[in-house]
Amino acid sequence: MICNDVALEGVELEAALAEALNTPTGTADIPAWTDTKVVGQRLPKIDAYERVSGTAVYPSDITLPGMLHAAVLRCPHGHARVKKLDASRAAKMPGVRAVLTPESPGADIPWYPGEKGYVSRLLDTHCRFAGDEIAAVAADTPYQAFDAVRAIVVEYEVLPNVVGLDAALAPNAPAVLDGPTNRAGDPRAQGRGDVAAGFAAAEVTVEGTYSTGTQLHVPIELHGAVVRWDGPKLVAWDSLQGVFPAQNTYARALALPLSNVRVIGHYMGGGFGSKLDTGKYGVIAALLAKQAARPVRLFMTREDTMRAIGNRPAVRMTVKLGAKKDGTLTAIDFSCTGSGGAYSAGGTGGVNWLPLDLYRCPNVNTVSTNVYIHAGPERPFRGPGHPQGAWALEQAMDTLAAKLGMDPVALRLKNVPDISQGRQDQARYTSTGLATCLTEGAKTFGWTEARARVPQAGPVRRGVGVAAGMWRGGGGSPPATIIVRLVADGTASVNMGASDIGNGTKTWAAMIVAEELGVPVDRIGIEHADTATTQYTGASGGSKTVPTEAPAIRAAAIEVKRQLLALAAADLKVDATALSIADGAVFVTADPSKRIVIRQFRPLAQRGVLVGVGVRGPDTHGMAVNPWGVHFAEVEVDTRTGLVRIQRYLAAQDSGKVMNRLTYDNQVIGAITMGQGLALTEDRIMDAAHTGRVLNANMHDYKVPTALDAVVAPVIVAVDPKDTTCNIAATKGLGEPATIPAAAAIANAVAHALGVRVVDAPISPQRVLDALAAPRTPAKGVRS
Amino acid sequence: MIPPFAYVRARSIDEAVALLARPESRPAAGATDLIGCLRDEVFTAKAVVSLGGIEAMTGIAETADGGLRIGALTSLTTIVKHALVAGRYPALAQAAASVASPQLRNQGTLGGNLCQRPRCWFFRGGYDCARKAGDTCYAMQGDNRYHCVFGGSTCLIVHPSDTATALTALDAIVSIAGPKGTRSVPIQQFFVLPEKDMTHENVLAPGELVTTISLPAPRAGLVSVYRKARARASWDFALAACAAAITIEQGKVTAARIVLGAAAPIPWRVEGAERMLIGRRLDEPTRARVAAAALNGATPLEHNAYKVAMLRGVVSEALGSIG
Ligand SMILES: Cc1cc2nc3c(=O)[nH]c(=O)nc-3n(C[C@H](O)[C@H](O)[C@H](O)COP(=O)(O)OP(=O)(O)OC[C@H]3O[C@@H](n4cnc5c(N)ncnc54)[C@H](O)[C@@H]3O)c2cc1C
Repeated sequence: MICNDVALEGVELEAALAEALNTPTGTADIPAWTDTKVVGQRLPKIDAYERVSGTAVYPSDITLPGMLHAAVLRCPHGHARVKKLDASRAAKMPGVRAVLTPESPGADIPWYPGEKGYVSRLLDTHCRFAGDEIAAVAADTPYQAFDAVRAIVVEYEVLPNVVGLDAALAPNAPAVLDGPTNRAGDPRAQGRGDVAAGFAAAEVTVEGTYSTGTQLHVPIELHGAVVRWDGPKLVAWDSLQGVFPAQNTYARALALPLSNVRVIGHYMGGGFGSKLDTGKYGVIAALLAKQAARPVRLFMTREDTMRAIGNRPAVRMTVKLGAKKDGTLTAIDFSCTGSGGAYSAGGTGGVNWLPLDLYRCPNVNTVSTNVYIHAGPERPFRGPGHPQGAWALEQAMDTLAAKLGMDPVALRLKNVPDISQGRQDQARYTSTGLATCLTEGAKTFGWTEARARVPQAGPVRRGVGVAAGMWRGGGGSPPATIIVRLVADGTASVNMGASDIGNGTKTWAAMIVAEELGVPVDRIGIEHADTATTQYTGASGGSKTVPTEAPAIRAAAIEVKRQLLALAAADLKVDATALSIADGAVFVTADPSKRIVIRQFRPLAQRGVLVGVGVRGPDTHGMAVNPWGVHFAEVEVDTRTGLVRIQRYLAAQDSGKVMNRLTYDNQVIGAITMGQGLALTEDRIMDAAHTGRVLNANMHDYKVPTALDAVVAPVIVAVDPKDTTCNIAATKGLGEPATIPAAAAIANAVAHALGVRVVDAPISPQRVLDALAAPRTPAKGVRS
Repeated sequence: MIPPFAYVRARSIDEAVALLARPESRPAAGATDLIGCLRDEVFTAKAVVSLGGIEAMTGIAETADGGLRIGALTSLTTIVKHALVAGRYPALAQAAASVASPQLRNQGTLGGNLCQRPRCWFFRGGYDCARKAGDTCYAMQGDNRYHCVFGGSTCLIVHPSDTATALTALDAIVSIAGPKGTRSVPIQQFFVLPEKDMTHENVLAPGELVTTISLPAPRAGLVSVYRKARARASWDFALAACAAAITIEQGKVTAARIVLGAAAPIPWRVEGAERMLIGRRLDEPTRARVAAAALNGATPLEHNAYKVAMLRGVVSEALGSIG
């Protein structure tokens, strides 16, 4: 996950290293794709049938002979110390085979890294949020395990908890970690230029305060694993976005050599960042399995995932913008405060990136403050920090446009950057689709007409809004090593380490090989996401999978092609350069009647296999690769009930070359829906008055949009800048950038409809009605 | 996950009543709410008595006087699709159609919908609250954005049922069978406020069952409607709801029922507002006045002032769709 400076520098380092390495099958000599035949088509997922028919085996479907089922005891209090724990009755209950308590060997594995080392343990007696793990049981059936957990007697010393940002920063707030304050380190300042001078030079300024709610990932497949010991080796089927980071975590926690840990994650039912790595559940399962000498299945309950395994932190932000009368930005002053929960200092990770990088502006100041509270720790969530930053910045831009008397699209067009000002080296972007997304999007949406439409009378108001965004990652990076094999019957296979997180990775991998080798997509097999049989790559996160794997897959396929053509050239007694491949045959380009049908090609049959290894080459030195997007929304707001309905939606995305237009569109639709949830309905609500528990840790009180809420048939404009510099697949990431502007676009449309701005997400009916009831000032919350 | 319980299927109302006489026995109709309550430990059960096989409790029949008798076990989907319900009592059809999701409406019954337990997140969230015979209502200090604006006292729930609101506007009669025989109560007397009984939402005594719900024959000129505002378009309880049943003769209102949902611990009839309609045309000024009056006396809590505006909104929508 690329969401902080350190990681970004790491990426650059990687590139330098890869450049220094003399990789035999790198991508250096391969020209970037321009036109493609297979890649970019609209193809259903190659495993669609398996997925919908139930034959796809997800980690939660794994059953092994003798497998036990585990359940976890969690603290019901926001803050407590376990004074006494008695598991003796639980241990004797029918079917119970293993019990782990804070006293058990392994329970003291350090967990949650802080500034000065780990701050907690796998099973800790000091519980810092309602949901913190205390003990676990493995039994023959899930019911026995749950019953046994219930039979563990715990005496708690209930301590005062604090779950609000202000409350946590108050002078006498209960300490979450053992620091002098709940502030996680000093506020972090980042910026450039001279902001005071920038505002002095401004002819118009606007200032406002905004906030977002805490959003939960809610993947359909729960977090969990089935683990089995094979002598000294651990095998884990874990629902993950990346098997290699989890291999690392299992190895660290259990003090195992990496080579003795095998993690398999062929299918996974959604993660959105919360499954970049395994969690306590995996290690607890491994310890229980060791104790019982039996395989163990441990999947969290839905409620527990909503308490304990990640979120997009709520953030409070202030933005001040200064501009010339023509809309040229002169200064941005941005500050944000957020909490990563009890154990993470990452409450504002990524939030300041858009203020730093989205618009051309010489003077920018950002300050990020992180706070600890007694709540479940954050985990990266689809474009970490960016949708929150967009929520504030893009609403402020709208307010600025209004004050300037400028069209919101025109204001944004005025400030399109071509270098990445947020990066230390001020790198030039390989491509900036922002302007095209704005203009093409506006044209297709009918922006000017929709914006000019006179508001209708009556209780239901209509409005349109726009918001822009970019994603700080999305360029991909080494390492990735791909093996493509062509076998005797003319079929091929791709061996890759990456997980298919539902975005169609397996399908576009096959399409890339089909493009280069002329083997039909349905004749290409995929082996992937298994630390024992595939090669190292990072987790499928940060929208890096396409731009990381696609170039390596292409390089591997080209290598196989090179070998195949060499064999064919010898057989046909022509030069290899005179040959082409299409539809499962090699032929002389000038005389297609001279052809070899690959599956009948004797030399291939004799060799059995042609192997091509492709390595992800380094990124273009000194250049920034970023995807862009602009969203347009039309909403209807019922002023009687405060309900917002999205009537029309358009997303214009620049993610470079499209791999598969069908899965591309699916990504964008999912991303819009997730942004809609952030904008309108999703919000983790904690019991600040009493226990510090999550009050809505279930699927009806925590309101993910349903199929009836989701935008009907959004228009998706795929902007392709033909970026031949970013990588040889000419492509960038999509999954995250497509959600970044969504919530802000909806907020701007609501503000346009109402003439009053709701500055806090989610824009619940409650907030709409409260805003309408408040004394009318145009653009509420935004002072000028 | 759910502590063990015995499961028995009753074949008749009498058998069900007998089985339910045992301690901690709970009736199960569609069990869509029951399972959740057991799982969240809202209450416990030693035995679950399935009513599913009781023929006498299912189906919709027209009565001699032109009303309807609806068996408590009738599924919400059946009610939604029934021509007589949709034709004569559209408020009930609309309320049933607005419940939960298609799957839950296929499984959930009318009786179960009326007898479901409240959705208060403290009540459901493992808190030992007043409604569970504990000593505090956590919604008093805690987040009460979804709680009541009328009728709260020592407990601040709202009644969760959509159909209860509609049936109250339609003057339904609830028939009950129990150890002491059968009885019928007007639906308005079926639900009880916390000040009368803090731990029950209705008058059912232990071992009693709802067997049928009867609707009186619609008067000529009766128009009814149900409006529900909720955060999501499906699979969501009401934030505010209104059922209105208005009889209009020669252009003027001769009888009116206006009932608020998600407003109070019981379906909340606003008789003052109803009276304002009598003898009037349902024109825009009248509708606005009545919608405003419907919320007279509302006492919002710290986090739910919006509900007053929202309820006013659904009343005016409901009346607007009639007038
Ligand atoms: C996700 C979800 C969303 C929901 N959304 C809504 C909604 O939007 N609106 C709404 O109104 N409801 C909603 N419900 C609540 C409810 O489950 C359904 O509305 C359904 O109608 C209940 O009927 P049932 O037959 O399944 O009841 P059951 O679960 O069988 O019973 C509910 C309760 O009533 C008792 N009971 C059942 N039948 C009788 C009887 N004949 N006599 C006496 N007691 C009886 C049971 O013991 C139990 O305590 C929702 C439920 C869920 C799980």
